[in-house]
Amino acid sequence: MGRPLPRWLIAVVVAVYAFLHLPILVLVVFSFNASKFSVEWTGFTLEWYRRLLERDDVLHGLRVSLVVGVAATVISTLLGTLIALGIARHRFRGRRVLEALIYVPIVTPEIVTGISLLILYVLIGFPLGLATVTIAHVAFCISFVVVVVLARIEGMDRSLEEASLILGADEITTFWKVTVPQLWPGILSGALLAFTMSFDDFVITSFVAGPGSSTLPLVVYSMVRRNIEPSINAISTLILVATTVLIYAADRFGRERAQ
Amino acid sequence: MSRALTRREFVRRASALGLSLPAMAALLEACRREEHDPVLDDPERELGPIERELAIYIWSDYVAPDTIPNFAREFGVKVTMDFYDSNEEMLAKLQAGARGYDIVVPSTYIVEVLVATGLALPIHRRYLTNWRNLSPVFVDRGFDPGNRYTVPWLWGVTGVAYRRDKIPDPPPSWKIFLDPRYRGKMTQMDDGRDVLGAWLRYHGHSLNSTNRAELEVAERDAIAAKKNLKAYISAPVKGQLISGDVWVAQLWNGDAEQARMEQPELGYVVPKEGSTIWLDSLVMPRGAPHPRAAHEFMNYVLRPDVEAAISTATGYGTPNHEAIKLIEHPVPYPTGEDLARLEYQRDLGRDTATWDQLWTEIKSA
Amino acid sequence: MLWLVVFFLIPLLIMFAYSVMPRGEYGGVERGFTLESYQRFFVPIYLTILIRTFLVSIACTAICLVLGYPVAYAIARSGRWKNLLLFLVVLPFWTSFLVRTFAMIFLMRDTGLINTWLLELGLISKPLTILYTPFSVMAGLVYGFLPFMILPIYASLEKLDNSLLEAAEVLGARPAARFRQVTLPLSLPGVVAGCLLVFIPALGSFLTPDLLGGAKELMIGNLVQNQFASARNWPFGSAASFILMALVLAAVMIYLRMRDAAPAAR
Repeated sequence: MGRPLPRWLIAVVVAVYAFLHLPILVLVVFSFNASKFSVEWTGFTLEWYRRLLERDDVLHGLRVSLVVGVAATVISTLLGTLIALGIARHRFRGRRVLEALIYVPIVTPEIVTGISLLILYVLIGFPLGLATVTIAHVAFCISFVVVVVLARIEGMDRSLEEASLILGADEITTFWKVTVPQLWPGILSGALLAFTMSFDDFVITSFVAGPGSSTLPLVVYSMVRRNIEPSINAISTLILVATTVLIYAADRFGRERAQ
Repeated sequence: MSRALTRREFVRRASALGLSLPAMAALLEACRREEHDPVLDDPERELGPIERELAIYIWSDYVAPDTIPNFAREFGVKVTMDFYDSNEEMLAKLQAGARGYDIVVPSTYIVEVLVATGLALPIHRRYLTNWRNLSPVFVDRGFDPGNRYTVPWLWGVTGVAYRRDKIPDPPPSWKIFLDPRYRGKMTQMDDGRDVLGAWLRYHGHSLNSTNRAELEVAERDAIAAKKNLKAYISAPVKGQLISGDVWVAQLWNGDAEQARMEQPELGYVVPKEGSTIWLDSLVMPRGAPHPRAAHEFMNYVLRPDVEAAISTATGYGTPNHEAIKLIEHPVPYPTGEDLARLEYQRDLGRDTATWDQLWTEIKSA
Repeated sequence: MLWLVVFFLIPLLIMFAYSVMPRGEYGGVERGFTLESYQRFFVPIYLTILIRTFLVSIACTAICLVLGYPVAYAIARSGRWKNLLLFLVVLPFWTSFLVRTFAMIFLMRDTGLINTWLLELGLISKPLTILYTPFSVMAGLVYGFLPFMILPIYASLEKLDNSLLEAAEVLGARPAARFRQVTLPLSLPGVVAGCLLVFIPALGSFLTPDLLGGAKELMIGNLVQNQFASARNWPFGSAASFILMALVLAAVMIYLRMRDAAPAAR
């Protein structure tokens, strides 16, 4: 579609992808290495994967991370998109202040957010657990979603929506059939960012998680402080494989439904 | 979704909120201090029957793999474990008001802070029938006289791990870090108390010193040593000791032992000028929802076989002298001579700010 | 809206209150009012840390822009491979940050993979010091923030209509001009969003400088972290955070004002 991309551009793009994936490749390969610390290949082994299965704490943490991650992503993407639309489409007093406020979670150092949210929870008597973690994640993910969707909205052509309304479609239909599809790359990008940030968050989560609601990063960080073992590479490899499979399945499913 | 908000309205509400803040904060403080519990705060009172659950907040990999499952099975208790990776993080979380943990595992001076801020609950000793297994060397230490609040867990020392094949003789002194021959091959721990503490000991001062002159001398040496350091890094330096990137590292003995199991060429010394000895303890924090289960757990780990397994798995010393008899290569107790040059870290109170200022200066040098 | 106020604003106001209260003996705060935490900040050592942090973050943002823009552009133009390429951008970040960072250490250390390969290929005779240098810190920061640049720019560029570009070409515009007049303006909102989403969080980084820089220098994120942790000086940590936030929010407000003042030429 259109003219091919210049070669230098492709070279840069390939280099960047290589840069992004090199450490990942390393950790996948070495999760099978028999030696714990050496760069030499001393033999293939599944030992580290086997040890993983013995660790309830890791499996439990993974479950918590997934639950919180999906919930936080869905909520923050929905709310964030609505807020972005609100900011972009309606002129109201204090709009600029609201927009600046959106940046507050992004600029606050994580430890400040973590401790202040904890204090807030204690103040209102909210017991620490999955809910407190999810809410905290939504709080900072929303900002990222809003910023990304806003950027998308800014370049968007309103004429399609106006046409739809003129042709007699009501607001809701217009929203779903015209606005959302146009916004979709922004919404998707925002959602991907939100999930990434939620899944990987450590500092904020460590303060707002309650007994039994430790996410995977909390488990891994503490493990790594004491014992750098290829088991952590094994977990990451498994997560990579699992997410790849899931996304592939979702993609195929989506395509079949479209047909 | 968006109501019209006039500017004046907004300013009015913001100021009202702003003014109510100090009031809120004061209320917050007041609320905290009044969390007195008549049963739990009195160590003589009886606790109820054992609860069905237990929440432990602990360092990772600080028990043997079967400790928890065995306890859960024997007592019919469901145990949740959550992890922190630094004392201060656990402290900050409790100070900010988090409750719900039955057991935390603070290091020496953190115990003092927990007790002083009312965050530690006294131990009801009647339930710890295995108490006598503990060695007097580790009981009744300065940070908790009479063990009102703590059950000793594991102990260790900070020293210097080194590659025997790269360094001709074991480094006898903290001075090694000033030696330019090994520039770029040495690390100290990423902790102000450990770094300044080492240089204070080097000059024969206490590592709990608050004397400005002594501290400044230590700071000078720390900055001089920094030029020779590859990095400030704590436990994770193990990997690089094993691979040979690092030849000399300030490190805890348990970590050094774990590294030695992978790399036989590793040696470990405690410098002759002295160093830190530390003791981690089990403490029941305020708001513990399952106090009886907590006590049963504390008593459980005082059993010699359980404690022996934990000590072997973690590489750290056990304060339980019955357990020592069951371990093949136990970490030997410090002799009287050793103890003379080993110090426990104490809380510095207001002087924490001074130490932090110095640490910031060292890092910015 | 109420949600926003409660969970954004109130925690912030709590921290602001803490920043003007005196430090508690054991951490936390005591009752009272004092500006000493703010006053304490305005000395060379802390100001240097602030300035250094800004410079590092600006550099990181610039590098991310240079590397990220081509990638976003390529993805937007890649037709049916779009989703796959997008997914491949974020996939590395679904492993844990710490695990990725240790993989980078594994690559970059003196006995690490990169040095081992270079030695074996005979390109060097002694190992290079890559780790615990400003280079390794920047590499780690850029690595961590690339998706935050790529995704917003992609979202803007995705509606790049080839017919526009073809029309420009037919009308005689050369590639550079086509880029400048058509593509760049279209992607500008995404570029700005990306820069903000990289620059602002980069200011608060503390783990990457510690792990990949050998903890030998302090960025403001490290300073704030220390105040809540080992220094147990919550007021000073809050004050330092607020000074940082005030600076950034002021810059954001200025940007927003400028953006709204300039009429959008579409």
